[in-house]
Amino acid sequence: MGDVRRGKIADKRPKAKVGWAELIGRVASQGDREAFKSLFEHFAPRVKGFMLKAGCSADQAEEIAQETLIAVWRKAGQFDPATTGVAAWIFTIARNLRIDAVRRAARGGKSGSEAELADAADPADTADIVISRVEDASRVKAAIERLSAEQSRVIRLSFMEERPHPEIASMLGIPLGTVKSRIRLAMNRLRDLLDEQR
Amino acid sequence: MTINHHPPEDLLASFATGALDESERLVVAVHVAGCQRCGRFVQAMEQLAGAALEDAAPAPIVPGAFDAVMARIHDHPAETVRPLPPRVIAEHPDLPEVLRRCRIGKRRRVAPGVSMQPIELPGGGKARAFLLQSAPGTRMLEHSHTGTELTCVLKGSFSHQGGRYGPGDFDYGDDDVDHRPIVGDEGPCLCLVAMTGDLRINGFFGRLISPFIRL
Repeated sequence: MGDVRRGKIADKRPKAKVGWAELIGRVASQGDREAFKSLFEHFAPRVKGFMLKAGCSADQAEEIAQETLIAVWRKAGQFDPATTGVAAWIFTIARNLRIDAVRRAARGGKSGSEAELADAADPADTADIVISRVEDASRVKAAIERLSAEQSRVIRLSFMEERPHPEIASMLGIPLGTVKSRIRLAMNRLRDLLDEQR
Repeated sequence: MTINHHPPEDLLASFATGALDESERLVVAVHVAGCQRCGRFVQAMEQLAGAALEDAAPAPIVPGAFDAVMARIHDHPAETVRPLPPRVIAEHPDLPEVLRRCRIGKRRRVAPGVSMQPIELPGGGKARAFLLQSAPGTRMLEHSHTGTELTCVLKGSFSHQGGRYGPGDFDYGDDDVDHRPIVGDEGPCLCLVAMTGDLRINGFFGRLISPFIRL
């Protein structure tokens, strides 16, 4: 994440996360195409890679990546660095688009159903609005940083990468029976850390 | 509103990553909207997911995608399709916003003192979500299930062996649970329920309600 990359791509790229937030700010305030291009070049391939790993087809992953960046442009004004990080914000956009894609597939891809639903709210947006983000993102971040590397790794493998427990067991070289308890302990620890900070 | 019962952490994590079933997502969303503690936990999961995104192996984007994206942005500079503002449902004027954005079906009486309203979920699927309203003092059906049952209390309360559940509280039942909730005396109890799998009804009440729940 914080590593310094070599080559001319790295030169154009902001080094810290603050840099990404600034670029989003420029997109919001000035419709800055160059700032947007940097964001696109960095995040679109990562969203696509993330979606591929999550089981999307190449076409779906490409479409979600492009739509995510379109939403980054359109919602740039809503980004609030006090409540979330850039990568997490972009993740939530991509996640919601994936939920939408799954829904469309479940409806059989019929465009008619869009019209049927027109008078009803589309709960697709629920993911956007449910959380009142009153907490300072830095406090959440501080709690995450106090997790051990082992704990955040096991959470990530299990939930963000959605790997099955036997695979996690072999990756970490621990017995299958230990995986579940390790995940549980990590989650409980995170709860405690977040509760402590009140 | 004091919330004492929260969803298990793995459910919150799956909510944050978008892995939950449609009906489950709705019930967890309603709880999280009213629970700062779980909201923080979900935010933490989103931060971890953001870190995973940042570390994901980049996959090459198709050539010309940036120009295509710019063209799409310029064709529709702003999001023109916005959901309508939340509706007020006469029977339940104070539903949480998330629910007021859903399409809610007709209310049906399913047993003395008990009625339900199905919630139409956009993705369909096996799971069902519904509002369940019960009169004060109702002894609910004794039941167990093959799948899971997620409940968030919206109004009133119920109690079972796990404790008392008031507004905002979240109850998670799976196939190990065989309980028989009793609705509190202070007023009607309104719950949002998501159910997967089959319900196994053990009592008289359940046999009445089951044809309605199997939608």
